[in-house]
Amino acid sequence: MFLRFVGQSIRRAPRRKAMAIGAVALGSAVATAMLGAMLDIGDRVNRELRNLGANLLVTPKSASLPVDIGGIRYQPLAKDEFIPLAGVPKIRSIFWQLNITGVAPSLHAQTQIDGRDVPVEGVWFRRDLQAPDGTHSAAGVRAMNSTWKVDGNWIDDRVANDRAADCIVGAALARRLGLHSGSTLALFGEHFSVTGILSTGGDEEDRVFVRLEVLERLTGRTGQADAIEVGALTEPEDAFARKDPSKMQPEEYDRWYCTPYITSIAHQIQEVLPMAVARPIRRVADNEGQVLSRVRGLMLLIALAALATAALTVWSVMATTVLERRYEIAIMEATGAGSGLIAALLGAEVAMQGAIGGLIGAVAGAQLSGAVSQTVFGIHGETPAALVPLVVVVAIAVSLAGAAQPLRRALSLEPAEILREGA
Amino acid sequence: MFWRFVLGAVKYRRRRLLLAFSGLAVAATLATALFSVYSDIDRKMRREFRGYGANLVIAPAGNSQTVPLRAVAEAERLGAVAAPFLYTIGRIGDERVVVEGIDFRRAAPLTAYWQVTGAHTAAPGECLVGSSVAAHFHVNVGQSLPLASGFCPVRGIVTTGGDEDNRVMIPFDRAAADAPFHDAASVIEVRADGQRINETRAALARALPETDVRILHAIAETEANVVLKVKAAVFSLALVIFAITTLCVTGNFSALVIERSKEIGVLKAIGAAEGKIAALFLSESLVLALASTVAGYAAGLAVAYGIARRIFSDTASVRAIGVDFAVFAPVMAVTLLVAVIATLFAASRIWCIEPAVILRGE
Repeated sequence: MFLRFVGQSIRRAPRRKAMAIGAVALGSAVATAMLGAMLDIGDRVNRELRNLGANLLVTPKSASLPVDIGGIRYQPLAKDEFIPLAGVPKIRSIFWQLNITGVAPSLHAQTQIDGRDVPVEGVWFRRDLQAPDGTHSAAGVRAMNSTWKVDGNWIDDRVANDRAADCIVGAALARRLGLHSGSTLALFGEHFSVTGILSTGGDEEDRVFVRLEVLERLTGRTGQADAIEVGALTEPEDAFARKDPSKMQPEEYDRWYCTPYITSIAHQIQEVLPMAVARPIRRVADNEGQVLSRVRGLMLLIALAALATAALTVWSVMATTVLERRYEIAIMEATGAGSGLIAALLGAEVAMQGAIGGLIGAVAGAQLSGAVSQTVFGIHGETPAALVPLVVVVAIAVSLAGAAQPLRRALSLEPAEILREGA
Repeated sequence: MFWRFVLGAVKYRRRRLLLAFSGLAVAATLATALFSVYSDIDRKMRREFRGYGANLVIAPAGNSQTVPLRAVAEAERLGAVAAPFLYTIGRIGDERVVVEGIDFRRAAPLTAYWQVTGAHTAAPGECLVGSSVAAHFHVNVGQSLPLASGFCPVRGIVTTGGDEDNRVMIPFDRAAADAPFHDAASVIEVRADGQRINETRAALARALPETDVRILHAIAETEANVVLKVKAAVFSLALVIFAITTLCVTGNFSALVIERSKEIGVLKAIGAAEGKIAALFLSESLVLALASTVAGYAAGLAVAYGIARRIFSDTASVRAIGVDFAVFAPVMAVTLLVAVIATLFAASRIWCIEPAVILRGE
C-alpha cells in the first residue's frame, strides 16, 4: 500500500516530479562542481606559482661569508665546502617528498672572456632523478624554471657526458660578446659551441651554463655541488609556523613537522643533508603564501555563496511540491490517516526525489568540475570519489528540510479548512 | 483595473510574493557581490603580486658597468616604482664583504618581503646587515659593525634567503659618495604595472638606449597567468550561480501562477486574452524585480565589501577596498532578465488553463 502510494504519485504527475528532480539535480551538480573544482583551485594556483622558480636554496654550511655580486665571486670558497652530488636524491626521501616539485643542483665557477670575469654555472638541464625509494621525477633547471626561454636549443643532458662541448649563454652576455646559437666560445681553454641563448630577465642572463659533469671535470671538483635549488609546494605560513621549532612541545613539534610549511621542509632537507643549510627564499616563498591564501579565501567565499543558493533552490522547490499537495494531505487526513503515516509517505517521496536528483547532479557535477579545470587550468581535474555519496546525502537532507515546514503546517491545519479553501 | 490586479496580488498573496521577492533579492545580491568583486579582481590580484618586488630591471649594457641614475626619474615618470642599487666590496678587519647602497625610501615597496629584526631603514652613517653577516661577525641590532670605511651602528638584521643575507646595506648616497663613478648605480629595479609592463619596458628602452632593460619573466608571466585564471574561475562561478538563481526564481513564479489558476480561469472566462494575463504577471514580477534590485544591491555591496575586506585588504576604507558602486546598472539588468525569463516560463502555463475545468474545482 505504502509503495503503491509512492509509485502512483510519481506515475500520476511525472512532469512535476521531473521538475523537482531536475532542480535537485542542478543544485547538487553545482555543489559537486564547486567542491570538486573550485576548492581545488588553491592547489592549481599553487602549482602555477611554482613557475616562479625555487623557493628553497640549499648551500653548504660555510665558515666564511660568500662575497659575490651577480654570480662573480670576489673571494674563493674554502675547498672543503660543498654538497656531495650523491646527496641530491635524498631530498626526495624526506617526509614531504611528494611536495618537492623540482631539484636543481649547480656548481659555480668563473672564467675570463675578453678580459672580463664571467660566471659559469654547471647545471642539470633536465635529468631523470631516481629517489631512494625508486620513484622517478624530472630534475634540473628546465623543470624548475618553466618561464626560462631559449632562443636556439636546450642542451639534452639526459645521458651524462663530461666531454660534451656545448653551452647555453645568457642573453645579456650574448649581446655583449656578439654570440648567437651556433657560435663557438672558449671556456677554460676549451672550445664550446653555443646551442642556445637564454633569456630570463634576471642575473642568469649574464652567465654561461654548461653541463654539471663538464664543469666538474674542468674545475676538478668531481661529485660536488655548490648549491641545490628546491621547489616545494607549501602551505602558507601562519602564526604557528613562525614559532621556533626548538621551543615547541612534542605534539606541537609533530604538527609542525607534518605540515608542509616552507620552514619544516627546509628542516627536513637539513636532516638528510647534514653538511648543508636549507633556507627559504623569502621573495618567492612568502609571497606565494600571501597570494595563495587570498585566492583560497576568495574561492571559498564564492563557493559558499553558490552552495547556499543551491541549497535554497532545492529547499524552495521541495517546499512548493508539498504546498501543491495540501489538498491530498487534507483528504488523507479526513479519511483517517495518521499524521505519522502521511509524513512518512511524503517524506519517502521527497527523499526519493532528493536521492535521484542528487545522484544525477553529483555525477553531472563531477563531469562539470572536470570540464572547468580542463578549460581554466588545462589540467584534467579529479573529483574525489567520496564527494558523490556526500552530495547525495546532503541533497536528501536539504530536500527533507525544505519539505518539513509546509508539511507540518498542512498537518496542523484542520482538513476541512484546506478542503474548503481548495474547493 | 490593471494596477488593481497587481496591487491586489501584493495584498492577498503576501507570503508567496515574499518568497518570490527573496529569491530575486538573493539573485540581485549575488549579482552585485560578484560583479563588484569581478570588476576589481584584476587590480586586487595584481596588488598581491606587488610583494614580489621588481618585475623589470635596468642593467648595464655593453662594456659599461653602471646605469645612469636618471633612469630612476625616467621610470617614475612612467608611473612605475624604481630604486637604484649600488654594489661595492667593503672590508671588515681582513675579510671582504659586499656593501649594498640602497635608496631605502624608494626601495621600500620593492623590498616588502624582507624579514627584518629592528628598523627597515638606516640613516647615513648607519647600516642594516644580512643575517649571515650578523652571525659571522657576531653583531646584533644596536651594536656597531667595524667596516673599514668607518664604524656603523646596526639598525636592523635582514633575512631574505637570497644574496641580501651576505651583505651590509647602507644608504645609497653614502655608498655613491665612495664609489669611483658619479650619478650612476649598479642596477635599477623597477616595479611597473603588470598590465602595462611591455609598454613600460619599451618606453624605458627608448629613453635609455645605453642600458639593458629586461622583464623578469618568471614574475611577470606568473602574475599574468594567475590573474587570468582566477578571473576565469570567478567568471565561471558567477555564470553557474546565475543559472541556479534563475531556476530558483522560476520555481517561485510557477507556484505563483499555479496558486492563481482560479483567478486566471475567471479572467479567461470573462474574455481576457492570454497575452494580457501574461502581461499582468510580467508587470507584477517586474515590480518585484525592481524592489529586489534595490534591496539586493545594498546587501550585495555589503557582501562585496565583506569579501574584499576579509580577503584583500587590511584597511577599512571603502575606496581602498575598491567596492564598485557602478555595478547598479548591470545588476538591475541581470535581475530584470532573471525575473522576465522566470515569468515567461511560468506564464506559459496560462495558455494551458481551461477555465471550465479550473472553475469546476478540479
